Amino acid sequence: MGRDLGERNREAYARYKDDVRKEGKPFFPRAILHDTIMAFVVVAVMIALAVIWYWDAGDTPEGEGLEAGVLGPLYTLPADAGTTDFIPRPAWYFCFLFYLLRIFEWPETVFIATVGIPTIALVLLLGLPFYDRRLERRPSRRPVAMIAAVLTVLSMGVLTYKGATAQEALGSELLKLVPDWAEEQGFTGDEQANEGARLFAVSGCLNCHIYLGSGTGSLGAPDLSDVGDRYEPQALVRYLTNPAEFGNTVMGSYAYLGQENLEKLATFLDASTGDK
Amino acid sequence: MAKRKTKRQLLVDTAILAPIDWLDERTAVVGGTKYFLFRHVPRDVSWAQTLGFATLMAFMAQTLTGAILAMYYEPSAAINPETGKPVAYSSIEMITNELTLGWLVRGMHRWGASVFIILLFLHMGRVFLFGAYKYPRELTWITGVLLLATGMLMGFTGYLLPWDQTAYWATVVGINLNGTAPFAGPWLAQFLASGPEIGTSTLARFYALHMLLLPGAIFALIGIHIYLVTRLGVTSPPWSREAAGRERAEVQPAGGRAGLVRRGTDGGAK
Repeated sequence: MGRDLGERNREAYARYKDDVRKEGKPFFPRAILHDTIMAFVVVAVMIALAVIWYWDAGDTPEGEGLEAGVLGPLYTLPADAGTTDFIPRPAWYFCFLFYLLRIFEWPETVFIATVGIPTIALVLLLGLPFYDRRLERRPSRRPVAMIAAVLTVLSMGVLTYKGATAQEALGSELLKLVPDWAEEQGFTGDEQANEGARLFAVSGCLNCHIYLGSGTGSLGAPDLSDVGDRYEPQALVRYLTNPAEFGNTVMGSYAYLGQENLEKLATFLDASTGDK
Repeated sequence: MAKRKTKRQLLVDTAILAPIDWLDERTAVVGGTKYFLFRHVPRDVSWAQTLGFATLMAFMAQTLTGAILAMYYEPSAAINPETGKPVAYSSIEMITNELTLGWLVRGMHRWGASVFIILLFLHMGRVFLFGAYKYPRELTWITGVLLLATGMLMGFTGYLLPWDQTAYWATVVGINLNGTAPFAGPWLAQFLASGPEIGTSTLARFYALHMLLLPGAIFALIGIHIYLVTRLGVTSPPWSREAAGRERAEVQPAGGRAGLVRRGTDGGAK
């Protein structure tokens, strides 16, 4: 030790260059042969996946290729902003992010999951050669780096798996809960509120929100069981029409449901004052 | 007097060598190719170091299949009067069901994206394990991380293009996530959606990002990355006995005593 790190680095690299020149093998044809074989394997895997995906997908009455095979359907139904019971699913390599959102479910902490952690991860990755400056390259002599790597791989793996297999209730299943909600919140006789509750069940609200224990609580969406205590009915209609007006940039607008339906929803939400 | 050239030699000279000389005089391409192909790599380089090339190959396959898809794909959310479905969706259906081998091209592109991402991660894991990001290869690592980030952005922008429910709702969530960032978030979400709701203009924007801007960035980064790899050399497995650049015992006996003295002792003086 004692000598300056830069000097030792340059010495080690000079030794590397010298060794490669004296003992190395030519890139062509020795190394490139391995590369070429690998390239064929990559293309073969791509073709194999395409073939399995295409031949294993089936047709449904609604159209060709909509029935999923082992690798999923060829496509789902055309995009429709008015759908109420479609559960968003990102590509598998974004599932870790998807699941992080469930961990940071309190509104003030959402940005930690969406932007904070990915940004920190990216900065840590970019800066790696600058804070891990030791000459040592053998894994057995780099315990901190190896433990950090194993923990990263494990947590990414777990988050990806959890995100990919996360279950969410469908609107049709939630509809069955409406009578229970009415009883618990005490709006059984109010037809307007009951219709609002049914709309609430099938409009995908519980893909983010929680209501009397149902729903997932992702994207930082709050529990709506007692939302009626916090807003007036007219404010609820305005909120559903344009959440951004209330400083909420995560939730989308539900204006497409139409004024009449929004008022039903607002009646239902206003009647939701929590279990008392 | 020089020997007269045969007809065959003359033909080779004018048809092959002369154009190559012409090109090399202006571009030094011959020297460059020799430098690239006939450079030495450490002799213990093996399968683990093929992951980078494999990633490149996956990207090239994505470029080719993507170019073919772009010839038939139409990025519009307007309703096609013939099919009653969005134009983009109908063009994907046409590619999958009617175009000769269109299903194969689309399937390779769709699954190639996953293969590309997996290979990026495996390649990065290999570089990390070998400690190959250390001096003097810091910039190679940085361009590699940027390639990983752009690769994932390619996945995000490409996911919307089939314009089916999966695509649409994943993108709605994705854009909303961008919106949660402090300061730049709302602006970023506005930029990505390009309007109050996700529609044709969003699709056009994602399409332009997916097939012009991001691939351009990836090509440039790959160029720098490969130049650096060629210039700085590939690393040996650090545990290899014959790793290039390994540390030697300070004193090496020479001549007749070579090999008689064990390494690590100071020449048997003790």
